[in-house]
Amino acid sequence: MRTKFTLIVAGVTLLLLATAAPVLAHHSFAAEFDANKPVKLRGTVTRVEWINPHTWIHIDVKDANGTATEWMIEGGTPNTLLRRGIDRNSLPAGTEVVVDGYRAKSGLNRANGRDLTLADGRKLFMGSSGTGAPSDGSDSGK
Amino acid sequence: MHRRLLGFAVVLVAVVSLMTAEASGQAASAATSKANAPSAARWRTPWGDPDLQGSWSNATTTPLQRPARYGDRKFLTPEEVKEIDRQTDIGTDQRPANAVRDVADAYNRFWWDRGYSDGRTSLIVDPENGRIPAMTAEGQKRLAALRAFEGQTTEFGTDGGGKADSWEDRSLYERCIIRAPLPRVSTGYDNNYQIVQSPGYVAILQEQMHETRIVPLDARPHLDGSVRQWLGDSRGHWEGSTLVVETTNFTDQASFEGSSQNMRLVERWTRVADDRIDYQFTVEDPSTWTRPWTAAVAWHPVGPLFEYACHEGNYGLYGILEGGRQKDKEAAEATRKESSK
Repeated sequence: MRTKFTLIVAGVTLLLLATAAPVLAHHSFAAEFDANKPVKLRGTVTRVEWINPHTWIHIDVKDANGTATEWMIEGGTPNTLLRRGIDRNSLPAGTEVVVDGYRAKSGLNRANGRDLTLADGRKLFMGSSGTGAPSDGSDSGK
Repeated sequence: MHRRLLGFAVVLVAVVSLMTAEASGQAASAATSKANAPSAARWRTPWGDPDLQGSWSNATTTPLQRPARYGDRKFLTPEEVKEIDRQTDIGTDQRPANAVRDVADAYNRFWWDRGYSDGRTSLIVDPENGRIPAMTAEGQKRLAALRAFEGQTTEFGTDGGGKADSWEDRSLYERCIIRAPLPRVSTGYDNNYQIVQSPGYVAILQEQMHETRIVPLDARPHLDGSVRQWLGDSRGHWEGSTLVVETTNFTDQASFEGSSQNMRLVERWTRVADDRIDYQFTVEDPSTWTRPWTAAVAWHPVGPLFEYACHEGNYGLYGILEGGRQKDKEAAEATRKESSK
């Protein structure tokens, strides 16, 4: 019985992995960002554009000589971030962050913010909370 | 967990009753309405119409069409539901090993709002096989053109390709025109709708793309056939406690699964519990499909809707066009190298 159950689960998992196609976000990330250009940026938040259809976080990244370069990091849509307990004040100017993402195809200083890690190691855009279901009453998003 | 299983049982019962009503036609529908009547009386507006008002979500991971692996099976086992939902939760934290897939997924899935399986293998309840019926040659052609426009399909979804020479080469969604043509099915996030009623009208606000369908209930005729709209032209009426909305006058610039502008859409909303509306749509378009087909999905309460003002800062479109120019540059460079050999 146990074996049968495990087999069913394994079968379902395999099928899911084989067939699950990504649901599209507002726009094609594949058209905008380059999978061959992963970036890891350490910087300081200068401002957050809390706008639709996607948020943009501006950070200053300093090189070895202390010269700062501004990068724009694309984040999730404000509506769903709000439902996850993140708002325009979650990343005040001056916050130190490490951004893990992919650079724009154009080669400009833009990237998608796949993961955003705060100085204390907390990952802002990672980790489900509660059931993972938004607005189900049991999920504070914190 | 108990809540989940109970929910599953409720879905099963509701879906079976939906399908029974579908199979035996009007008589069964009337019987169902009668059966619902005593409880449906609980949800009434002050002026006596059935009350559908509130904010609702149609989020579910149950696919529109039944994947071939399920054959004729309509329902998943509780174990399968549990595993699919577990995968949905894992998907939130998991990073795909493949960078192409990672980019296509748009960040990690932390902020996605896909809902869970409703226990069925497809949203389509008619035909029986849970699949969109055979398409006409014209429909096939239209669908192929639509897919080509979206870009090539890879194992990671569409490659985001297609042309990027002008904003007009890009999808209506990327251009902030509409999220998707009607009828709407669950997608990655913002699957939220607000229904507001007044005597003679029902208004349905769609969180994405921030548009409202205002549906008159006074049996007035549809707009002239020469008027074509992104969301068509809707007329509604009550059948017992069910809101029935018929929509025509679609545009040929938007297509639902290959549909033409002549599609006739009939949607039905029935309040069945404090926390549930049963929503059903039937699409009919002889130039696209060889027969009409019907899908059903439950709507559940959701918190307040937020304004999705898509044009506010659609930098993504600039990024896509810039990406297109970069591709041009690389192609020109490759040609130059080739010719200088």
